[in-house]
Amino acid sequence: MKTPFQVMTGGDWLIVLTLLGVSVAGIAWLATAPKGTRVVVTSGDQTCFVADLDQPQSVDLDGPLGKTRLVIDETGAHVTSSPCPRKICISMGPARHSGDLLACVPNRIMVRIESPSGEDAPYDLLSR
Amino acid sequence: MTCSAANAENLARARRQVFLALFIALAVSLHILESLLPSPIPWLRLGLANIMTLSALYLYDGRAAWTVSMARVGLGSLLLGRLFSPGFWLALTGAIAATSVMILVHRICGRHLSPIGVSATGAAGHALGQILAARLLIIQHEAIWQIAPLFLFFTVFSGVLTGWLAVILLQRLEQHPAFQTSGVALDEQAGKD
Amino acid sequence: MPWNRPLIIGMILLLLALGWLRTNSGETELVRSSRLLMGTIVEIVVSGQNTGQLEAAVDDAFAEMARLDRLLSRHYQDSDVTRVSQGSKGGKVAPETAEVVALGLDVARRSNGAFDMTLGRLKTLWGIDQENPVVPTQEAIAEALEGVGFRALSLEGLNLVKQSPQLMVDLGGIAKGYIVDRAVVVLKNHGITSGAVNAGGDMYLLGQHPEHPWRIGIQHPREQGGILATVQVRDKAVVTSGDYERFFEQDGQRYHHIFDPETGSPARGCQSVTVITDSVALGDALATALFVLGPQKGLELLADYPGSEGLIVAADGTLHPSQGWADYQSAP
Repeated sequence: MKTPFQVMTGGDWLIVLTLLGVSVAGIAWLATAPKGTRVVVTSGDQTCFVADLDQPQSVDLDGPLGKTRLVIDETGAHVTSSPCPRKICISMGPARHSGDLLACVPNRIMVRIESPSGEDAPYDLLSR
Repeated sequence: MTCSAANAENLARARRQVFLALFIALAVSLHILESLLPSPIPWLRLGLANIMTLSALYLYDGRAAWTVSMARVGLGSLLLGRLFSPGFWLALTGAIAATSVMILVHRICGRHLSPIGVSATGAAGHALGQILAARLLIIQHEAIWQIAPLFLFFTVFSGVLTGWLAVILLQRLEQHPAFQTSGVALDEQAGKD
Repeated sequence: MPWNRPLIIGMILLLLALGWLRTNSGETELVRSSRLLMGTIVEIVVSGQNTGQLEAAVDDAFAEMARLDRLLSRHYQDSDVTRVSQGSKGGKVAPETAEVVALGLDVARRSNGAFDMTLGRLKTLWGIDQENPVVPTQEAIAEALEGVGFRALSLEGLNLVKQSPQLMVDLGGIAKGYIVDRAVVVLKNHGITSGAVNAGGDMYLLGQHPEHPWRIGIQHPREQGGILATVQVRDKAVVTSGDYERFFEQDGQRYHHIFDPETGSPARGCQSVTVITDSVALGDALATALFVLGPQKGLELLADYPGSEGLIVAADGTLHPSQGWADYQSAP
């Protein structure tokens, strides 16, 4: 009786290793994906940055005008510097609740707070 | 084995029916035996019944594989009292996915693979098919897909195991005169359909 | 011969299952989508059973908003507004433009000019959208105000007529609201009965949220991240105008983007105004008018519009709600 390794062809190994690789990659991706409330940054149609709202960090986001700096700290996610003329994005303050939105319109950067558990804010939309 | 039907074609067909019936019976037995064993994750089983589906595929053709797998799911659920229960739909979807994928892979690259590779692919299809059914019927939430990578990981191993067991079975069966006279040996199968 | 029938049937069944899964999960989905449009964040929320239908509706709504923005904004060279501003007597405009102007003229008349669509030159002078705005001189302001006023603009059919050649039209105080109304029409045409379109604070709430009436938080004009009040509405427009959205500071004074047509400078009577009414275009125009008029005259104007309520935060921070406002407020 031959062992599996004696029977398996090159094609078999290809399949087995590919499936194992995909599943391991999937497990790794799930383990590192941000859980809980996250900060999602989009530029145009592309999501360019996702992070946990609970993890303090800062990141430079690229747009047509240059780099917009987003800082995540205990106040939430807010813009600290941006190459736009009016700096409205900075004056918008921190985004904290699920559904909160910030944007640097000239630099085409949009920041959204998403919560997988659904809506946790006391309101559905903000009128400002 | 001689019989009164002298026509070779009728003989072959009769033999096929008899053997498929035997395969089905074996598959159902394996299925029931497996369901008695404890398992850490629900519905995560070795899929030993797949050995019979694989054998049917290699000894005969895709239609035979469908016959064995669908009959196994139906009869197995009936005997276990789970017909039309949620578990039944999971098993059915898994079996449809597994069988389709195995037949496809066998058809396209059967030359480069042994039953182990085909079985591993089938096991993956089975797992994904079950999760799809669970998503549709039981847990109406995208979160169910999060168990997919883990499931997939384990089913690869069970797929290799059942594939290997199928190889052993096939090696024994091929030596039996019943399969030699009808001229369907393992490597001729690939060119048949 | 190459493919056996059960295989094909099996694959088709699987594909059907996936396709059905994609479009119809059998439970209510909430689709939220935001885009940068009209110089602000536009957010559309829709609720329904069929994800495919929801996404198609949202895409069409955004497309319509982009189309109308190109027509009504003075920031585009080929918009109706720019063309009319550059023409000596005005010009022919699209039916949508005419509709906005007609509504605006009505509010302008009834607010006695507090709402004004002829301030294009003034806004360009202040450069409130530009890189480095500076406070203009009194002479420059006076010149920019020449010929300005609601009487300087009139509509004859689809012809927008202006009384003086240098008059520049600006629909900034009403166009966004109108565009939101039109987006809601698109959503309704797609069969959406529960949703919201929010363009930088000018919004319409269609139906109600799957679980409760739409809850709208109103930004506190002085506390970043603070909420002044929460209102609960259904099938209503909510518009807020504030001095905190677009402004610049010079010598310790804040200069924002809502101008008083009489002084040519930012209106000083209020910190913010919120209006709840039936169309966002009307809400937009009223909010602007109220902001210019200040709390007292503003509430008087609002009384002229039954069915519309408002909350005015005066320059000193005191709150002035209209009569029926309390019916909407749920917090604090």
